[in-house]
Amino acid sequence: MLDGITKQYPDGTTAVRSLDLDVGDGELLVLVGPSGCGKTTALRMVAGLEEVTGGTIYIDGRPVNDVEPRDRDIAMVFQSYALYPHLTVYDNIAFSLKYRKIAKDEIRRRVGDAARILELEPYLQRKPRQLSGGQRQRVAMGRAIVRQPRAFLMDEPLSNLDAKLRVQMRAEIARLQRSLGVTTIYVTHDQTEAMTLGSRVAVIQHGVLQQVAAPQVLYKRPANLFVAGFIGSPAMNLLAGRLERGEGGPVAAFGRHRLCVPSPVLRDHPALEQYLGREIVLGIRPESLHDASLMHDPDPRSVIELPVELREELGSEVQVHCGTGASPVSLVATAQPAAEAAAAAGAAGAEPGNVSRPVTLVARMDPRTALTEGQAAKVHVDLESLHFFDPGTGQSIRG
Amino acid sequence: MTAAPAAPASPADVRRSRGRARKRALNGWVFLLMAVVAVVMLYPFYFLLDNAFRTQTQFDQQSGHSLAGWTQLFRDLPVGSELLNSMIVCAASIAIILLVSTTAGFAFAKLRYRGSGLVFLLVVAALMVPLQSIIIPEYVNLAKYSLINSYVGAILVYVALGTPFATFLMATYYRGISDELIEAAVMDGLGYERTFLQIALPLSLPAIATVTVLQFIQIWDDLLVGLLFLQPGQRTITVGLAALSAGRTTSIPALMAGSFISAVPAIVVYLIFQRHLVKGLTLGMGK
Repeated sequence: MLDGITKQYPDGTTAVRSLDLDVGDGELLVLVGPSGCGKTTALRMVAGLEEVTGGTIYIDGRPVNDVEPRDRDIAMVFQSYALYPHLTVYDNIAFSLKYRKIAKDEIRRRVGDAARILELEPYLQRKPRQLSGGQRQRVAMGRAIVRQPRAFLMDEPLSNLDAKLRVQMRAEIARLQRSLGVTTIYVTHDQTEAMTLGSRVAVIQHGVLQQVAAPQVLYKRPANLFVAGFIGSPAMNLLAGRLERGEGGPVAAFGRHRLCVPSPVLRDHPALEQYLGREIVLGIRPESLHDASLMHDPDPRSVIELPVELREELGSEVQVHCGTGASPVSLVATAQPAAEAAAAAGAAGAEPGNVSRPVTLVARMDPRTALTEGQAAKVHVDLESLHFFDPGTGQSIRG
Repeated sequence: MTAAPAAPASPADVRRSRGRARKRALNGWVFLLMAVVAVVMLYPFYFLLDNAFRTQTQFDQQSGHSLAGWTQLFRDLPVGSELLNSMIVCAASIAIILLVSTTAGFAFAKLRYRGSGLVFLLVVAALMVPLQSIIIPEYVNLAKYSLINSYVGAILVYVALGTPFATFLMATYYRGISDELIEAAVMDGLGYERTFLQIALPLSLPAIATVTVLQFIQIWDDLLVGLLFLQPGQRTITVGLAALSAGRTTSIPALMAGSFISAVPAIVVYLIFQRHLVKGLTLGMGK
């Protein structure tokens, strides 16, 4: 358990601010965020490789702030694997066991079991430089497994692999963690890895925890603009708009477009009522936008006409970029403490949320769509999937 | 039946073949230049060895060969014991230099503690101090503790002179070792002391080889410290050869023979550590 842990460096930089996280037994918790957000620093504090400036880290109910890394009974897989180049694969895996006074027979058995699970048996006498990236990564995993620790800490272990191998190793890590049942904290900047691996995902930005929830909850109910824009690929379309009173109920207006907000959405977001006549940020996931010409009798209240600016063929889908005339939204102010946000905005020479150029909507459409650049497209919006955010605080408007 | 005329070469082919010709010509000039440099570097050794096998008269006339120079060398100089003295002083000095520089270099590179930057700066600043400026205070200090006219005194001076550079070299090398490697060892259950012995030290063989070779050449060839801090019975080969040439009549062939014998250990040490030396000297250049 991480109880309000903080890391502040002597020069005043705060890498982690008052982080509260509870990791369940056997859980795979993913810490995700952009580079420099503090996720690796948090992991290193759990490992004991960084001193904790404030707060307490508990492992199995025991505070471990002053406990040496080797005495915390946790194993770490590093981003660069950190294999000992002068030792064979066998010796790398067995290394930690030799210094814990474990019997040779037991060492041989554990290394053999790990090698079998990780398919490393043919490589045990090789040196790390004779292995491929994926094999080295598995040796690093083997070194962690044989220790039978209380927890695994993994610091972006797949970032040095090519895309195809990353997908393969991701599945292996998930399978391994499930079969071993060891509590794992996994750090990554890749939101796809986070969503596919974690039973829960903690999104971090500027050292501050934004939201921690199951992947589907993060995706469907993001707590703020940063989480909404970070989770999902392509990212959620965020548009500066207004919530107006319309004939049939509230209307979300952006650019010259208006979308009726249906009753189920109003029921799910009761706080929206307080925003009538005010500015809001509207969030629309790319898969909530469809080519209306491919639909049978779409509701005209949910269809808007947009100029197509770009068409990208991806095989299983087509990504269509459409102009909206709406203002973009800055994600800066939403995740930083107020003073830093103001400083960042001042340095950028603009206030948060200022218009730079009109927003382009990205839609993930059926591959049968015939929409091309320059065309005026009729785009159907799934109104029940709309997201609403407060433009000042960046928080989701729910109730 | 006549063969069809060959198709004319395309402009790209012409450019490629001109490029290859230019490259061959450049390689030729480079080879010639390196050959000249090799001759210039090797000629003194050839001169040394050639004239070691002459008498003084044969040297003056530059004709004929004999073993007289060698005979005279072994008669006038206790070559064996002086070589042994040189080995003792070199080996002991290098052992202490390596002990201090590897541990200090690792501490500077990998351990975080207050003031480490300043201490490292002082160590590097010591590199700037020439031996000649401190030799008299050194002599006075060591005499106070009765350490002159002994191996210990000379060894201490060599260690003091050699450690700053060696520490700088080792610290630079250890900085190139990934921090994650050290942290992995710490996570695996090793303290920093065992991490240094089991992980950092084996990985730093190239740097250790560099320090060994450079210090060996420096200490082996040194005259001043050996002359001041060692008594006659502990004389090194360099001091002995200097004494040989300081006599009323200097036998050049004997001096050549002595110089050749003196050069052999340095060459042997270089050849032994050559493979690691190249790695060590190019440390920090590229990934």
